[in-house]
Amino acid sequence: MSRTGSFFCGSADHGVSRRGFLGAAALGAAGTFAADMTQLNVLKQEVLANELKKQQKHVILLWLAGGSSQFETWDPKPGRPTGGPFRAIQTSATGVQISELMPKMAQRMQETTSVIRSLNTRNADHGGGAVLMETGRRDDPGIDYPDIGAIVARELGRIDSQVPDYVSMYTSTEGRRKGTSGFLGARYAPMFLSESMIPENIRKLDSISVVDHQDRAALRDMLAKSFQQSRKNDTVNSHTQAYQRVRGLMASEKLFDIEQEPEAMRAKYGPSQFAEQCLIARRLIEAGTPFVKVARAWWDSHGQNFETHRELCADLDHSMSTLLDDLKDRGLLENTLVITLGEFGRTPQINASLGRDHFASAWSCSLSGMGIKPGVAYGKTDPDGHKVAEGEATAGDLFATIMTALGVDPKKEYMIGARPIPVTDFGSKAIQEVLA
Amino acid sequence: MASYDPSKLKVTKNIGLNSVAFCVARVPNSQRLFFGSSDFKVYELDLAAEKPEPKAFNGDGHQSYVTGLALAGNTLISGSYDGRLMWWNTETKEAQRTVEAHQLWIRGVRVSPDGKRLISVADDMLGKIWNAETGELQHTLVDHKAMTPHNFPSMLFAAAFSPNGEWVATGDKVGHIAIWEVATGKKIAEVEAPGLYTWDPRQRRHSIGGIRSLCFSPDSKLLAAGGIGHIGNIDHLDGPARVEVFEWQTGKRTQEINDKQVKGLVQQIAFDPEGKWLLGAGGDNGGFATFYNLENGQQIHSEKFPMHVHQFALNESSDTLYAVGHHRVAVGEFKAA
Repeated sequence: MSRTGSFFCGSADHGVSRRGFLGAAALGAAGTFAADMTQLNVLKQEVLANELKKQQKHVILLWLAGGSSQFETWDPKPGRPTGGPFRAIQTSATGVQISELMPKMAQRMQETTSVIRSLNTRNADHGGGAVLMETGRRDDPGIDYPDIGAIVARELGRIDSQVPDYVSMYTSTEGRRKGTSGFLGARYAPMFLSESMIPENIRKLDSISVVDHQDRAALRDMLAKSFQQSRKNDTVNSHTQAYQRVRGLMASEKLFDIEQEPEAMRAKYGPSQFAEQCLIARRLIEAGTPFVKVARAWWDSHGQNFETHRELCADLDHSMSTLLDDLKDRGLLENTLVITLGEFGRTPQINASLGRDHFASAWSCSLSGMGIKPGVAYGKTDPDGHKVAEGEATAGDLFATIMTALGVDPKKEYMIGARPIPVTDFGSKAIQEVLA
Repeated sequence: MASYDPSKLKVTKNIGLNSVAFCVARVPNSQRLFFGSSDFKVYELDLAAEKPEPKAFNGDGHQSYVTGLALAGNTLISGSYDGRLMWWNTETKEAQRTVEAHQLWIRGVRVSPDGKRLISVADDMLGKIWNAETGELQHTLVDHKAMTPHNFPSMLFAAAFSPNGEWVATGDKVGHIAIWEVATGKKIAEVEAPGLYTWDPRQRRHSIGGIRSLCFSPDSKLLAAGGIGHIGNIDHLDGPARVEVFEWQTGKRTQEINDKQVKGLVQQIAFDPEGKWLLGAGGDNGGFATFYNLENGQQIHSEKFPMHVHQFALNESSDTLYAVGHHRVAVGEFKAA
């Protein structure tokens, strides 16, 4: 496995290998994993070995906000009345064709990616669809469900982590959603980047000198250790960890700075904002962040669907394939699941503005990397893409598939008071055909 | 005295189609049309027939949307998103020649006024001038940039020959227009119309505009470019129809029409033979044909069409337009009383 530098602070001057970092941190912090900063009880306590294993897993969600067209990405229907003008091209996976707008991903299918072509999620409203696909279940006024980022942060994040557990980037304004940690609590809420790619409000105040800042931290540590020696309990531990975490987050600014990357690497990703955010996602993953969402808005192509997809698919195809290559080259892809998903797909019918409208009855997403059997096209739509013909999958099924790929038991339950809430919705089943 | 009156424009015939018609060519002095379709075929439609019915040309034809048509005598040349140009015998409806013309989608095909030359424009950002009879490539026009300033693929949508046949203009997604000498293929002028590039840097972060139509004035001195203006909601073509007119040899803009009364893309433009008005047609979810006063840019008359209009052909007396578009062919008449 070839690995280039992988660094916590983002500076080549302070290079520490990710594996070394994780290993050392895991050994040093083994006693703290069972601690939980939420007030939740977990029915199934994991053994430490499993927890340690999970800590090396990551998720990058490429969120295609507004809803991309399955016809112009993963499920082309060339020559059909609904198919549009673009051709299908053969991928590296035998018998699997995707749109000609995705040529770079076509070359990488056999090694990295599977597609699910049979999502029937029944909600073609932006807001409702986004909630459904981000939480894996229908909205329930009685329960504030966490989204996938918060669940992954909780299940895979290290309690002693000094990097953010859940980072969400959404710089366009249309359809902007921050994400929610729901009943998991603020500990798993996303670090949300909307205006700038570098987080705001994590810098030291200008009114405090570096020396003063360090002195204060040292004093607090000394007092805390003294206090802890006579009062060992989880609350005290949690308080101390929270301070450590804040200091870690303050030091993580460079992770968001792609100027820290070699010029050749920046050139590979290219200049689009989406590509640069994918590069940041890789940097975060490499440093130990369990979940990064990169939202690319806005795919809502009611007018000029084909021009929109010619433009946006070029961005997606290049950014996604470069990200997968980069993860693979660094040995990270085997531990990183890359999900490409939006809130729904687009209609088979082509409207008078040459657009496609909202459609949730038969659409597609892709899964790449960790836990996924690559080169699979699961499910089938009818010849014109109006209905699912084989392998219908719900949002819950997709969620269960993702959790299974990550090694998280989809039936694991959180207790909200006396009420058990499973990680994935009742009745959901993982799609075994796309799992490794 | 002109036989036309723009204020009288009305849709007089409206025929449904099973597919989207992107382009039209008309046999002179007749109501016989050819149109290129979203079902990858070329059709003939005789509007003079008692029950006009589209008749498909023979053979496999194209492999994608047919987006450009030009008629040179009895030969019809079609261009498609499959990158091919095809020559057809209009009587037998058989293909005579197929040329792999472009690496990417052909957006338009135009024939020179004398019928001897043809230009095709495509998303490989090349214009190509062809011998309309032999299919020989005469000049490749290299100027338009492959990527937009925001690093996305550009598109080369429009082309037009000047009425005197000396020049041809090409226009792209970012509002750049190049004017070429037809005989030599050399670029002789440039015009910029950035108001037709609709990049949304913040809300939706993409663009769908561009120069969708070009037309020279009858004296070949003016060049009009059509598209859409600033879009509030890029998802729905929710922006004003926009036309800019230039004295192209100096680059001076003489009109900037940003018609908030009419929404959508201006897909085609035609000049009044007498130089008084300009006709633009296109649409969003609906369709329009609108006349503008060339002197002051004011709207003279706008008529709703029953479909988004992708292209039209005028008759010889410039008082009837034959429009094709979304699942329809429509005829509009504006004859003087």
